[in-house]
Amino acid sequence: MNIREELQEIFRDLFDDETIVLFDEMTADDIEDWDSLSNISLINDIEAHFKIRFTTEEIMSCKNVGAFIRLIEDKADK
Amino acid sequence: MDGMQISKILKEARKFAKTALACEKYDIKIAVLGSCSIQYFVLLLRYYLFQNGITADIYEGEYNGIAMDVLDAGSGLYSFAPDAVIILPDYRDIKAYPKLLCDEDASQLCAGFIDGYKKMWAALTNRLPGITVLQGNFVLPLESPLGNLEANYKFSRRSFIRRINGELLNVRPANVILVDMEYLASAIGKRTWFDNSQYFLTKMPCSLECLWDLTELFAKQILALKGKVRKCLVLDLDNTLWGGVVSEEGCDGINLDPNNAVGESYLAFQQYVLPLKERGVILAVCSKNDEEVAKEPFMKNRYMKLKLTDIACFVANWEDKASNIKRIAKELNIGLDSMVFFDDNPAEREVVRQFLPMVEVIEAPEDPSDYVTALDEAMAFEWTQLTKEDIARNQSYIAETQRREMAGSFVDYGDYLKALDMRARIGIVLDNQIARFSQLINKSNQFNLRTQRYSEQTIAEYMKSDDAKCISAELRDKFSDYGLISCVILRRAGTVCFIDTWVMSCRVLKRGLEYMMFEHILSAAREWDCRAVVGEYIPTAKNGMVKDLYETLGFVPAESVEEIHKTTDDSALYSFDTAAEPSKKYYISAE
Repeated sequence: MNIREELQEIFRDLFDDETIVLFDEMTADDIEDWDSLSNISLINDIEAHFKIRFTTEEIMSCKNVGAFIRLIEDKADK
Repeated sequence: MDGMQISKILKEARKFAKTALACEKYDIKIAVLGSCSIQYFVLLLRYYLFQNGITADIYEGEYNGIAMDVLDAGSGLYSFAPDAVIILPDYRDIKAYPKLLCDEDASQLCAGFIDGYKKMWAALTNRLPGITVLQGNFVLPLESPLGNLEANYKFSRRSFIRRINGELLNVRPANVILVDMEYLASAIGKRTWFDNSQYFLTKMPCSLECLWDLTELFAKQILALKGKVRKCLVLDLDNTLWGGVVSEEGCDGINLDPNNAVGESYLAFQQYVLPLKERGVILAVCSKNDEEVAKEPFMKNRYMKLKLTDIACFVANWEDKASNIKRIAKELNIGLDSMVFFDDNPAEREVVRQFLPMVEVIEAPEDPSDYVTALDEAMAFEWTQLTKEDIARNQSYIAETQRREMAGSFVDYGDYLKALDMRARIGIVLDNQIARFSQLINKSNQFNLRTQRYSEQTIAEYMKSDDAKCISAELRDKFSDYGLISCVILRRAGTVCFIDTWVMSCRVLKRGLEYMMFEHILSAAREWDCRAVVGEYIPTAKNGMVKDLYETLGFVPAESVEEIHKTTDDSALYSFDTAAEPSKKYYISAE
């Protein structure tokens, strides 16, 4: 599985929706339950899964899925 | 707990929140107020309570709106009318700290800050009589601008917050229960507890990975408020209380050697169990052994801390442990759901878990040096108060054994009761008895006619009212003093006297005390010039033993009497004409 697929699994699992297919421009508006609260869970799940840690600014700047993927790629490389 | 685990729990809790149907009647209404964001805490709290058999309707306070909610009589909090309020504070609520080198500042500022809390509690209690407040204390932050000097000056921030926590204890009224968040955070580790990035982003009361622990801390108090308390610890022997197998190694061969690290572990475990006994936890033994062999170390091994007299019920045989635990429950007259089981053997634990799911089974660790921590961290014995009856409880169970021995020498039960030389003091409950009165009402499940739970505050209200009477009974016999063991709350409703509450401790069943109590109920009704005493039986899973109490006492079944109606479809109303005389005999003298 590549990062996109793994991230998709995290989304599906978190929002309990097997039909979610990620695209780069996808934002909180596209997923009903994705709000500021579940975003905390999302960050936690991503950090735990990829064993990485985001900075506060990175979390604030991640507004869509593409940004998440780039950031994970960037961090997982190191 | 790591990120993966909390993620799993949150997922379950979210699923539960989606599927849970609105209840017609919730077991408890809770308001959660905090200066932080509390949505996740509420989500987890509702889920935790549900898993433990409590349905909760929960009000989420405004973000950072503790004072707003509490001080505004028209707030959503008051229209919600909760039974309990949880207050989650944060050290960042403290806006003013003492100036450097100004110790006087510290005491003044502290008094002012605490005054705010006192006003809040008073407002809550005045507007919501009967409310219980679960007040978290302040978790001391990691940062120390003064370094170690923080510990050396009263004006330092750390000393100041410590002082506030200490002062909360000094001023708390009986209906405010302090919840020790500071202890929990220290036990987990503050570096894990605090997550600054998360705090700046979301203002959660603690890091996400500690949130379940925080929930559990508060939820355990709610369970205790609802009468879900455990009071008996059932212990295995071999490799639990001592190292090795006594039937093989002999009474002096088992390892309790204070000069051996493993022996010391077992000694430390016994030393932890003893104070549990002192606070009123009943100790029982359940061991696969021959009884004589099992008892020998208690009598002869010089290192044993626990003695036979510490054990209220000792069962050693070769039957399965589930049956034996049932037997212990029956002998002690307590519910299986008030028992906690500690056994080093995973197979035995599994049997008990499977056949007696209501018993709390402690996951005993492999290394006996961790036994104390495991039992302690399980927080199995969370009660909301401690009374002198708790402290005397074990003694009275041991006296029960002597009583039973005496009973064996009588053919006639009446003769036995006479020989017990029982004396009771029955009367209007006194101020210094309220704590115990409320505890008994909230903990009793079996001899409990209507299973209404009341806080000390509500009871105090009843005591002041002209249309209510709170009657308590204390009993002693030639073997022990039971203290306060029965409570009645009467309410005047028109021309009838309604028995709102009638509970009795199971330790004094079949003594005739209920007959004597009834005479007092009757005279109270006559004092009020009531024409009848009306009683109600509301069946629960546990109170079958009092199903026929009213008929036994000479009551007749009744439909609605004046404004008294049946509480539930399956409850039953009874009436007793105050002109009639009670007919049951008893052998208790008044004192």
